[in-house]
Amino acid sequence: MTGLVVGGFFAVVNSSANAADTIKIGLIEPLSGPIAAVGIDAQQAFETAAEQINARGGVLGGRMLEIVPLDNAMSAEKTTQQLKNAVDIGLKYIIQGIGSNHALNIIEFINKNNKRNPDKAMMFLNHSAVTTAFTNELCSFWHFRFDANVDQKVAGLVTQMSRDSSIKKVYMINQNYGYGKSFQAAAHAIIGERTPNIEIVGDELIVPFGKVQDFTPFIAKIKASGADTVLTGNWGPDLVRLVKFAAGANLPVQFYTIYGGLTSSVAGYGADAAKISLKQVNEFHENHADLSADSVAFADAYLAKYKDTWYSDRQRWLIEMLAMAIDKAGSDDPIAVGKALEGMTFQGPLGEVEMRASDHQIQMQLMVSTLSGKYARPIMYKGNDFHMAFASDGVISREDTTLPTTCDMQRP
Amino acid sequence: MEVFVFSLFNGALYGMLLFLLASGLTLIFSMMGVLNFAHASFFMLGAYFAYQIADHVGFWPGLIVAPILVGVFGAAVERYALRPVHRFGHVAELLFTFGLAFVIEEVVQMIWGKVPVPYDVPASLNVAAFVWQGLDYSAYRLFMLLISIGIFVALFFGLTRTRIGLIIRAALTHPHMVASLGHDVPKVFMWTFGVGCALAGVAGVLGGNVLGTEPGMAIQLGPIVFVVIVVGGLGSLGGALIASLLIGILNNMAISYDFSLYPIFAVLGVEREADGVLADLVNLTTGGIAPLVPYLLLVLMLIFRPRGLFGTRDV
Repeated sequence: MTGLVVGGFFAVVNSSANAADTIKIGLIEPLSGPIAAVGIDAQQAFETAAEQINARGGVLGGRMLEIVPLDNAMSAEKTTQQLKNAVDIGLKYIIQGIGSNHALNIIEFINKNNKRNPDKAMMFLNHSAVTTAFTNELCSFWHFRFDANVDQKVAGLVTQMSRDSSIKKVYMINQNYGYGKSFQAAAHAIIGERTPNIEIVGDELIVPFGKVQDFTPFIAKIKASGADTVLTGNWGPDLVRLVKFAAGANLPVQFYTIYGGLTSSVAGYGADAAKISLKQVNEFHENHADLSADSVAFADAYLAKYKDTWYSDRQRWLIEMLAMAIDKAGSDDPIAVGKALEGMTFQGPLGEVEMRASDHQIQMQLMVSTLSGKYARPIMYKGNDFHMAFASDGVISREDTTLPTTCDMQRP
Repeated sequence: MEVFVFSLFNGALYGMLLFLLASGLTLIFSMMGVLNFAHASFFMLGAYFAYQIADHVGFWPGLIVAPILVGVFGAAVERYALRPVHRFGHVAELLFTFGLAFVIEEVVQMIWGKVPVPYDVPASLNVAAFVWQGLDYSAYRLFMLLISIGIFVALFFGLTRTRIGLIIRAALTHPHMVASLGHDVPKVFMWTFGVGCALAGVAGVLGGNVLGTEPGMAIQLGPIVFVVIVVGGLGSLGGALIASLLIGILNNMAISYDFSLYPIFAVLGVEREADGVLADLVNLTTGGIAPLVPYLLLVLMLIFRPRGLFGTRDV
């Protein structure tokens, strides 16, 4: 009799835990339009990470995580609309990462919302928007960044460059907008600090996003400068064309990039990739020798499910750390969860990563790797084999990517 | 001097690719009076068709087949869509081609996906033809140059020295007379449109593997083609050639010489150490704004000579 009552009680708890009590997490990304491919990749990653947590029993003793996709089609107005939509359906957590301008929009919206409606506070979990200011002068208690910022990534690239004594002259090309300029400023500062023997022989800002069709004059200038290395924050067609024209002219330089390894870029290089030395900095690639077993297992599960090679690892640790914080706080209240996230550590692919309490910027190891035709496992995308993959050059320790912050955080 | 000659040559190489793209548009406009906003989309189709064909049977069949496919598709668009729209006037035609560009982009994304496709330069031509100033110039780039020159010569003589050219030109100004003489004017227009699209297809086959084949390529190249035909003079083939070369060379020189624009601001009394918006302005160099040079040229041309370099009628 008692058993029956207890069983009945648990059944009630379980049924209420199923639908009504799922913890919904809004994902605002471009899921339609010209760069929808990048947004959909992010959606797949977060859904896979949430499914794994749900399969282990969810959070708070049985509540499930659910990713709610909110399409912004890469337009600022739609991001604002989706934020209002998120308020209406009562979402407490927003994830975004593609486009720092959208991230800034979200930070400002949530700051305002939380001031006006402290009982309906929201939290922003940023997975890839890298503008350093978000964790410096613009820092907010409600914003947490799970990716290294531009300055940290440049520090990673420059640290790896300092290990190669053949690098003497560097040519910089960047896109002329907020992100490209912050890459440029960080590179000047960090090269001056860490590798004063490397000379910057060129420093260009180009009109961004595919406006430059013909890169021949830039290639000619790089050649004339005698540079042995090109350091660039370019991404999209501005990087693909730079690389293709350099390969076509047989320009003897190596490229140090942040986004050279994005699947869309690797697809764009085609056969030219074999003719150049292209490096990227990020936190993960599946052919690295010493990765944590969890990262490898996630990459394998993702490949099996979507026929895509797993490119980064931060989407996984964002969801895992959020789940840990909810459990630690004992509720899904953003203030309590935010405080639980501060200083939290997690096992990343290369070692422990930590959410720094002072500015909510994750501190993590990075690795620099080269696109190569020799690999254990090739890059796959939608089942297509690229016959290319990344090979590690070196790991950048947390000490080398930890930079001071100017953040003066106001806590609720 | 060396830099000058070098940029002249590099600029001409790029300019001839622009000409290849603009030639079809100028043909369609001068012979039919239709301003085809979807022209760059036919260029994109040419690149994607060539990629698909190259993937199965190699580059060379694609060079022939892809433009034909694009041309036939263009002719079909004219016959079944543009012709019914034609009687509602030029604005309707313009809006139709404007919409068509979006439809083609969406369809391309549905078929080939949203990331670029690996359309490569054929290995047989991907060898250095010569080395100048330490840079390799592949045989492929010279091949592109030759094809562009060949197309200019063929179009020029085809339109001015052959019977077909005579009929096409007469059909624009005196359609009823040409029809009375027993020529099928709608069919002439259909094939003119088809050939114009096929030329965009040729540009796509040749340019797609150099510039990158991706769904955004039409939007990126579309505006510059209009600059070429407006600067050259609407409907003038020779004008399109000169304008293409001019834009290619100006673009190249702007980057190679990279003059500071500060002297202009110095005249206006702006300090070098200005900050904020002014700091961005005084630090501008011609290299940094090179892609905008053609548009500047367009604005100046529309102000001072609206008919373009060799045009016979105003825009």
